Amino acid sequence: MPATDNQGSFLNRISIRRNQVVSMDGNHEQELEDLELFQKHVADRFADLLSQSEDTSGDGLLSISWLRKLLDVFLCCEAEYKAILLLGRDPSQISKPPLDKLVPEFHDRVVKALDVCNAVSHAVETVRNYQNLAEIAVTALEQRPIGDGQVRRAKKALNSLMILLEEKEGSNHKSTERAWSFGRRSANATTSSSKDRATSASQFRSLSWSMSRGWSAAKQIQAMSSNLVAPRGGESSSPALPVYIMSTITVFVMWALVAAIPCQERNGLLTHFPVSKQLGWAQSIIALQEKIAEEWKKKKEKNRLAGLLEETQRIEKLGVYLIEFADSFQFPPDADRLEEVAVQVAELGETCKKMEEGLVPLQQQIREVFHRIVRSRTEVLDFLDQGGKVTASTM
Amino acid sequence: MENNNHLPDDHTGISPVPDSKDDAAPKLDTEAEEIKNEESQNEESDPHFDLEKASEDIDKFLSSLTSDDVSVEVPELVEKYLDLVEQKVSGEGRAKWCQFPDEDSAFLESLDRVSKLTKSLRELKPEEEKSESRGSLINRIGRIQQRAMSYLEEEFRFLLEESITAESESESAEPEAFPGYSDEVVSGLSKIAKQMISGGYESECCQIYIMSRRNAFEESIQRLGFEKYSIDEVQRMNWESLEREIATWIKAFKQCATVYFPGEKTLADRVFSAEFPSISASLFSNLTRGILIQLLNFVEGIAMTKRSAEKLFKFLDIYETLRDTVPAMDGLFQDECENELKTETNTARTRLGEAAIFIFCDLENSIKADTAKTPVPGGAVHPLTRYTMNYLKYACEYKETLEQVFNEHSKIEQIDSTNRPSFEEGSNTQQQQQQQFGFMNSMDNENENQTPFAVQLMTVMDLLDTNLEGKAKLYKDVALSNIFMMNNGRYILQKIKGSAEIHSVMGDTWCRKRSSDLRQYHKNYQRETWNKLLGCLNHEGLNPVHGKVAKPVLKERFKSFNQMFDEIHRTQSSWVVSDEQLQSELRVSISAVVIPAYRSFLGRFSQFLDAGRQTEKYIKFQPEDLENYIDELFDGNPMSTARRKP
Repeated sequence: MPATDNQGSFLNRISIRRNQVVSMDGNHEQELEDLELFQKHVADRFADLLSQSEDTSGDGLLSISWLRKLLDVFLCCEAEYKAILLLGRDPSQISKPPLDKLVPEFHDRVVKALDVCNAVSHAVETVRNYQNLAEIAVTALEQRPIGDGQVRRAKKALNSLMILLEEKEGSNHKSTERAWSFGRRSANATTSSSKDRATSASQFRSLSWSMSRGWSAAKQIQAMSSNLVAPRGGESSSPALPVYIMSTITVFVMWALVAAIPCQERNGLLTHFPVSKQLGWAQSIIALQEKIAEEWKKKKEKNRLAGLLEETQRIEKLGVYLIEFADSFQFPPDADRLEEVAVQVAELGETCKKMEEGLVPLQQQIREVFHRIVRSRTEVLDFLDQGGKVTASTM
Repeated sequence: MENNNHLPDDHTGISPVPDSKDDAAPKLDTEAEEIKNEESQNEESDPHFDLEKASEDIDKFLSSLTSDDVSVEVPELVEKYLDLVEQKVSGEGRAKWCQFPDEDSAFLESLDRVSKLTKSLRELKPEEEKSESRGSLINRIGRIQQRAMSYLEEEFRFLLEESITAESESESAEPEAFPGYSDEVVSGLSKIAKQMISGGYESECCQIYIMSRRNAFEESIQRLGFEKYSIDEVQRMNWESLEREIATWIKAFKQCATVYFPGEKTLADRVFSAEFPSISASLFSNLTRGILIQLLNFVEGIAMTKRSAEKLFKFLDIYETLRDTVPAMDGLFQDECENELKTETNTARTRLGEAAIFIFCDLENSIKADTAKTPVPGGAVHPLTRYTMNYLKYACEYKETLEQVFNEHSKIEQIDSTNRPSFEEGSNTQQQQQQQFGFMNSMDNENENQTPFAVQLMTVMDLLDTNLEGKAKLYKDVALSNIFMMNNGRYILQKIKGSAEIHSVMGDTWCRKRSSDLRQYHKNYQRETWNKLLGCLNHEGLNPVHGKVAKPVLKERFKSFNQMFDEIHRTQSSWVVSDEQLQSELRVSISAVVIPAYRSFLGRFSQFLDAGRQTEKYIKFQPEDLENYIDELFDGNPMSTARRKP
């Protein structure tokens, strides 16, 4: 895995150098150089993400493959951050200002990030449901000769999908409530269309595991981004800077995941959090943030926030088209129309395949991020504790 | 995915189809309406056409298609068959599934034929001139099939969601009661699943199954009292609440691993039967993975909480639960999933283990950090000794687990020294650890075969000793210092002897060494306090010359003896020896040296004092008095001086 390789080589390099200078008693210049390098790497990595976000072949902004790359970037930056924070440093430095405040704040953020990881990981199941429904439509519409039965089957699946993709800002996400209010097997529903909806919605009562009651992704992101203040003056070249950089990256990555994957309670999700425009390394992050916020606003207007993930946007678009086709379908079908539809179905099939191949690795990678965050936090705490031990034993 | 090849070909044994009880109120439904229209179109079909016969014909027709005869004529009998079954497989007005098993089978058999017809006719290359009629026939079959499948979906969901019967609210419910479907229901589910999958409706079937079971599982786990907490919430909860949640977690985890997961596995296997093992396995894995990860997230959250001594034992409880319960899940999962979940459970266990080691080793720091400069009054057992020993005693109730934890998750090198290069994982790890601890340990040679945990325990004991020696120096009175050491040493030894677990770790040699240290303190004390006093009773300088002794010297001796004893009594009765045996040993040993010496002194020299006033003035104590006073020593009672005044 690229993340690990990168980490290894970087750690080695930096630790060798640190060991060389450690005897010279806290070489400040060396530290500045490392910091410089870290910023450059962060800038480069996010610039890469920014350029990939332009991709129009389906792997662009907020696509599964883009998110996976984003998580890779997170892992790389995190490894480098930890190296800068810990290697060759005297633990007592972290228990002095400004780090004594910044590091615990960072750890608070990181704990919230863990919950976000879990919520997003649960919500990947929701996306898998979208995929499943789209796949039903593909299976049905690929049948030849095509007939009423299969078209109806496809339509049923796509209608369910559309209901699921509907998420309004300000309404609690989705089908859960709706399904209950319609009740199950509503045999006496008064109109055919509402019956159709009721049954299809009740299938999808709870699409994924839930977090604890009252947990809100939006609130967690909000809390993570508070106190996110760029170090000023003398602090801007001190170890306060890497903590700030990593905090910003963490907030950004978690925010992007929450935006893309319909996890628990996204009401009032921030569309902006402050990142100082003067910072060189942050330029691409700011640009990406603006692009995602843009997408978010667009979807919000249409009340279809559930599908910000590139692949879901695509199946939504294709789904709308195919529902239209299904609505107007009459047997025997028109051959030309059928050819048109076949193209759309093929694209839908491609997208499903992408999801099939990408969602599980994405979920695993989110878990990897989770474990990495836990481990790093523990390592830093152990490191600090060791500082505490040193002071205790010298007493 | 096509699973039709799983279907047995032989379907000739046709059960009689009962009369349709189609008296249900007509539904306003597009599909129903269309079916009605079609029915009216087909009114002229032969009403006496026998379904049984038709089914046989269809089966013959289907088997004839297996030969590569592409020019086969699609016979009229298909149309006629459809006329007969269309209404029956629509599900209109049917009773609930499982109420009339014969009807259910008839339904499924008919649907099976329809599904096979769909598939077979699609595969036939239609001859151009017939394609239109062929097409509309296929269309009709497709519509019937879709309608029947929709109906089955609903029945499938209904059975899954509404027919859980056996699961009782009480905890005493039989484990077999999970997930609580009757055999009829399970067999109904299995038949429906088979039909849906072989008819190409696998996605629908799986989706319904996973949703329904996920919801049901969440409810079951809630019923166990397991509440979800985010990791953030766990960090903010107070320890008392967390302790309660941990207890619930342990219960829930055990229940899941030993009852729910196997129950879920059995259900999946029975519903998707031997015919679709991969579907069954993937549904089961998907479902349980979600639950297991959530359960493990709680552990991760717990292991991340601020580490403190009182948490050790709960951490170990969870650790043991994971260690002992996870093997119960062996063989439930497919390889890939099993690997992932094993890794997850191991990771969670490692985190707990590391936290437990940290907490246990942190005892070193608490001991080192206890540098208070105020001595405990009366030389009593220091609170640090009590705390440490009770903690160790409790910890040693988890001795085996702690040994395992230390063996498996020790990162001591990293914690203890920054500059030491991290060494390779290897066979000599343990030895190196021991070497590292060895230098801190006064009993190096004994530790060669000891576990890292035992070594750590020794380290703690040695640190405690060192700390106590420092504290002993806080007493200005050397005798009291010794009493303090004796008290604490005695306490430590008693605790160790009282717990087979610690005893076995510390070993007999260590205990013997301790006992001899104690004897040394005792001797030192005796010397410090009583040798001086005994000096007063020395006969030297008092040897009678011509039947006379130097009276002023004698008087002086008595006077200083009295004063000294008085002083000792006053001071030392406020000293504390709370261990009764030690207290009595001390008193006995004091009496044993003081009383005979005094008695003999008295016997020898009292005659030289004038009876009456002089005797009264200088002989304040009879030997029996001394004994009584000695018995008042180490009572921790400063008031005893008052009692003494004559």
